[in-house]
Amino acid sequence: MVEIQRVSKSFQKTVKDNTAEIKALTDVSLCIRENEFISIIGPSGCGKTTLLKIIDGLIPHDSGQILINGNRVSAPGPDRAVVFQTFALLPWRTVLANVEFSLELRRVPKEERTSIARDYLKRVGLEEFEHHYPHELSGGMQQRAGLARALAVNPMILLMDEPFGSVDAQTRQLLQEELLQLWQRERKTVIFITHSMDEAVYLSDRVVVMTPRPGRVAEILDVPLPRPRIADEVRRDPQFVELTNYIWDSLKKAMENGH
Amino acid sequence: MNSQLRINVISIITLAILWEIAGQTLDSVLIPPLSKIASAWIRLLISGKLLANLLMSLWTLAAGFFLAVIVGVIVGLLMGRFRAVEHFLDLYINTLMSAPMTAFVPALILWFGLGIESRIAVVFLFAVFVIVINTMTGVKQVDRTFVEMGRSFGAREAEVFFKIILPAAMPAIMAGIRLGMGRAVKGMVTAEMLLTLTGIGAMIMQYGSAFATDALFAVILTILIVAMITMKLVEAVDQWLTGWKTEIAIE
Repeated sequence: MVEIQRVSKSFQKTVKDNTAEIKALTDVSLCIRENEFISIIGPSGCGKTTLLKIIDGLIPHDSGQILINGNRVSAPGPDRAVVFQTFALLPWRTVLANVEFSLELRRVPKEERTSIARDYLKRVGLEEFEHHYPHELSGGMQQRAGLARALAVNPMILLMDEPFGSVDAQTRQLLQEELLQLWQRERKTVIFITHSMDEAVYLSDRVVVMTPRPGRVAEILDVPLPRPRIADEVRRDPQFVELTNYIWDSLKKAMENGH
Repeated sequence: MNSQLRINVISIITLAILWEIAGQTLDSVLIPPLSKIASAWIRLLISGKLLANLLMSLWTLAAGFFLAVIVGVIVGLLMGRFRAVEHFLDLYINTLMSAPMTAFVPALILWFGLGIESRIAVVFLFAVFVIVINTMTGVKQVDRTFVEMGRSFGAREAEVFFKIILPAAMPAIMAGIRLGMGRAVKGMVTAEMLLTLTGIGAMIMQYGSAFATDALFAVILTILIVAMITMKLVEAVDQWLTGWKTEIAIE
């Protein structure tokens, strides 16, 4: 279980000798259940990526606390892994070596990490591309490698930062379906940042709507659509349409209040 | 690549023919025809004079360039990694980068004397600053998400540096080393002409003042060939270290 308790964060921004304090997050509280798929949605600059980095322990927060199964988060740990929006694959490493990278940093012996990496490349359908370099792959394939790298360390919690934000629409839908299938098999807690309402509703058990800067939780919605979700059917379901409309209204309201 | 090579060869042959014609028709000592330069070159080669001087020059070049790469890369890495080091040094590095190094030669004579140390120092000074600046820029331009990704997966500081920053900065470091190589050759000849008359530089001065233009051009051609070979060597190392980057460039 991930407990986010009254987390706040400000940045110092210096523009030409003027230092201004920018509040990124105020009093964000949220409880995420084990194996839950939760999406965080909000307008650009609402601090959703900041929140994800704080949960990962990459950046410190000013007040409040984050507990994972009762333990306070202060640094990155083996129970979490991030999938990055820009893939963050190292261009001088092959796909296989990129997936091995996370295991290498976790001190997994060489032979073991190769076999683990191969296994996860297979799960994301990249087994034939292990010797390719990232630039030789399409955006969708690169993100599959990014996903394999995160899954390879077998984290309890998968932190996904707009992972499908930089691929084309068709690939995006494919990746969403694949992610759901993987999630159903691997059973992990997923915290998914997105700005797509459609994506949030299709994937998640719950959707968290955030306000513009300073980001706070505006609303938390249950998505009671049954699983497994077949993309074409779900998207035509009246409940799906209703939910996306509702989130759109909620986002609009949050943005109006924020100004 | 193949068609590029062919055009290169055509270009060289055209220049050679034009030169030969110009030399023959003008019949002046100022522009010796290529055939005379070639026979002078063979004469110098057989006498062993060219090779002996060339070896002496190359030794200076190698020592100075090697020091410049070691010092340049280390200083550049530190400047790129630590703000304080950068601000402490960037004023000097930037000034010296564009300063005419030749002006420092008299001071170097005073400090290091007239021996090989001075010549190595000149080569070093010619080459080092461009290596520092390129290395520093390379380190500073490393994609921050790479570093974030490493930290997120638990990389320690040393791992972030050696597994992410260093390889990511390698193309820029090698670009600096390539530029440094070119400057090192200039430094070598400058030192041998201005400091102590030795090696290739001494031959240039000697033949130049004696109006032995055929031998003079033979030596100049040798320098051009040396510059080209050293450049190709550095490029080969670059290709070996950062082949992944060149592939991107081709696509």
